[in-house]
Amino acid sequence: MPMRILQGAIAALFLAGSMANAGAGSTAAGEALYRRGVMPSGALLSGRREGNVTVAGIDAACVSCHRRSGLGTTEGRITIPPIAGVYLFRPGDARIDDEAVPYVGTARVKHSAYTDETLARAIRTGVGADGRALNYLMPRYDLDDATMAALIGYLKGLSPRRAPGVTDTVLHFATIITPDADPHAREGMLDVMRQYFADKSAAARAVAPRLYANRPMMFRVNRKWQLHVWQLEGRPETWEAQLAKKLAAEPVFAVISGLGGPEWEPVRRFCESQGVPCLFPNVEAPPGRDDDFYSMYFSRGVLLEAQLIGEQLHDTAGRARRVVQLYRAGDVGAKAAAELQAARVASGETTVTRALPVRRSPGDVADALKDVASNDALVLWLRAADLAALQGVPAHAAHVWISGEMGGLEQAPLPASWRPVTRMAYPVDLPGQRVVRVDYALGWFRIRQIPLVAQKVQVDTYLACGLMSETLNHMVDTFVRDYLLERVEMMLDHRALTGYYPRLTLAPGQRFASKGGYVVRFTEPQGPKVAAVTDWLTPEAVAPRTLSARALSARAQSAGAP
Amino acid sequence: MNARLAGLLLTASVAGALVASAGAAVADSSEGHIGAQEERGTAISSSRVTYATPAVRLMRADGKPVSLPGELDDGRPVVMNFIFTTCSSICPLASQTFAEFARELGPDASTVHLVSISVDPEQDTPARLTEYAHKYHAGSEWQFYTGTVDASLSTQRAFDVYRGDKMMHTPVTLLRAAPGQPWLRLEGFVTPNELLHAYRALLAAR
Repeated sequence: MPMRILQGAIAALFLAGSMANAGAGSTAAGEALYRRGVMPSGALLSGRREGNVTVAGIDAACVSCHRRSGLGTTEGRITIPPIAGVYLFRPGDARIDDEAVPYVGTARVKHSAYTDETLARAIRTGVGADGRALNYLMPRYDLDDATMAALIGYLKGLSPRRAPGVTDTVLHFATIITPDADPHAREGMLDVMRQYFADKSAAARAVAPRLYANRPMMFRVNRKWQLHVWQLEGRPETWEAQLAKKLAAEPVFAVISGLGGPEWEPVRRFCESQGVPCLFPNVEAPPGRDDDFYSMYFSRGVLLEAQLIGEQLHDTAGRARRVVQLYRAGDVGAKAAAELQAARVASGETTVTRALPVRRSPGDVADALKDVASNDALVLWLRAADLAALQGVPAHAAHVWISGEMGGLEQAPLPASWRPVTRMAYPVDLPGQRVVRVDYALGWFRIRQIPLVAQKVQVDTYLACGLMSETLNHMVDTFVRDYLLERVEMMLDHRALTGYYPRLTLAPGQRFASKGGYVVRFTEPQGPKVAAVTDWLTPEAVAPRTLSARALSARAQSAGAP
Repeated sequence: MNARLAGLLLTASVAGALVASAGAAVADSSEGHIGAQEERGTAISSSRVTYATPAVRLMRADGKPVSLPGELDDGRPVVMNFIFTTCSSICPLASQTFAEFARELGPDASTVHLVSISVDPEQDTPARLTEYAHKYHAGSEWQFYTGTVDASLSTQRAFDVYRGDKMMHTPVTLLRAAPGQPWLRLEGFVTPNELLHAYRALLAAR
């Protein structure tokens, strides 16, 4: 019980702290109301629906239904309209020709314009611009005049104006590559992107026509695509500043794909602080959380593997004397080992984590494993070259786990003598099951004569480009960065061709599209045949540090409950 | 008592017959509005339907693997809905309604089984569902379920709530007085009061 109160207090402090220096009239106050459901006083916003059902905090916040962009959404048969200022303060049918008010499928076509007074009345009493009741789903809010002014001011500031990086004829995108990224994968990824962008630009014609209809049409976005390669240099501490400079010099609509090594946090911070969508970078240990808004990932990669292995260790019959982890310094295995170490803390069992030197030397892997005994469990966060170096090294441990992501999945060159005791974390679909979805990309690579140098990275990159393209096609002429992310959330489920992943799904408050993995074993002494020893598992990844703002708010509310 | 509530009671009290009745729907008359039907008022439609509970295994939020028929057929009346924890518009309202319903039942709450099944099982791990349950002060009579994607889909299809993707879900509440009886299906946003009346009428007609 004390823990819940403490967490509630921390959450409340967090919420209150974010309101510091925000007077009722400021944008910060409006934003806190809109995005977090927090009043200028620090109290939770409260909304009331028919039948006296109340909602509070983030559930009462405008963002929950009208979205961060303010452009609304659809859920089932319910259409939630846009509330960005231009949609409220101009009459519905004046909008068709108005470039400042781009088409969104959720807009109410026939309604009168609101004024500040009628909008305040609508928010307080649920009576719309035309004197009719608003939709049942819309709560009523008892806001004082100053708070109401802050909220309405914020709505007026929400603009669907065309984002930077979009001209009448060109869409600008960037891709980000860190200096510690794998050079082979880098070339493979850029080959895919350059060819994809060339294809998109070949199809483009002249200036995109204006849309003169209020019907949802599949609108062919006839703009060329231009790729800016943002190659970072030097120490990670300098990357965020480098990216900010590049963005200022080359404004882009969004960042697609990209390639990183163990450090991606500065890039994540750049995307969040600058409000730039960063879609599906090729990173094996993504630093983000579900409540980041701007970054989306295919999978948690080796961090997911650490959770899978952690749960397997927990379930292994006959407890190991200790768990020994091995990784090579400077590689992403360090992050995975830390994740597993943290997950193991609660188990009370000994976990020994060893780092190999950055540069490989003959026998260093064997040396690091000299003291491993048969009642140890071994977790190897190693690349293919180091797995191959296990040749001739006796496999003493009764249970060994390796990373599929790092080792090369079923191509991992694990020596025959290790195979009977080894299980591989496998955060993608099984080879036989993913054939058709991956072949689609491989076929395109063959036709376009793109050499296969890093198959998974290249297939994932092709997938990211395709998702961007499909999502933009459905956005008509509405190039708003937040809206891009919201549309991806809505549309991703529908995609059948999901490359390596059995399923991709996102939603508001979800940023990792594939949520699980298998544990597999090699079925033969040599070669890439694997079989699953588990079903597709979705491990618990809800350590307190990964809880989203929504969950923190929920905790705060529960802690304060009578 | 309004016309809609009367309609619900009438439906709930007719035993053994398949009755479909449309509630008092206030339709929005903005022609030219694109596509989606706008639910301006609190349109509820109710019907009695027989569903076959699929023999799937689910995972309860407390970590226990369970069989769905076992959970639904323990003799208690069941009130069921389908949610996902990151749903930010429909589900908070539906779950708040369940919370209010349980509160208003008071001591009678121990005799009902409130069931919320996730339609986003990969995201909605038992820990996340437990977090969600705490938020709505769920007592032991209100259980949350997740499981494999296949199990969730089989369940959604069996109760005709599958709409292709979680974002397409619509508000549905299903009530059944006892195992073997047909379900009362309420489509739309039902208020706690309406749910209470429908539930009591259903039990009275049992």
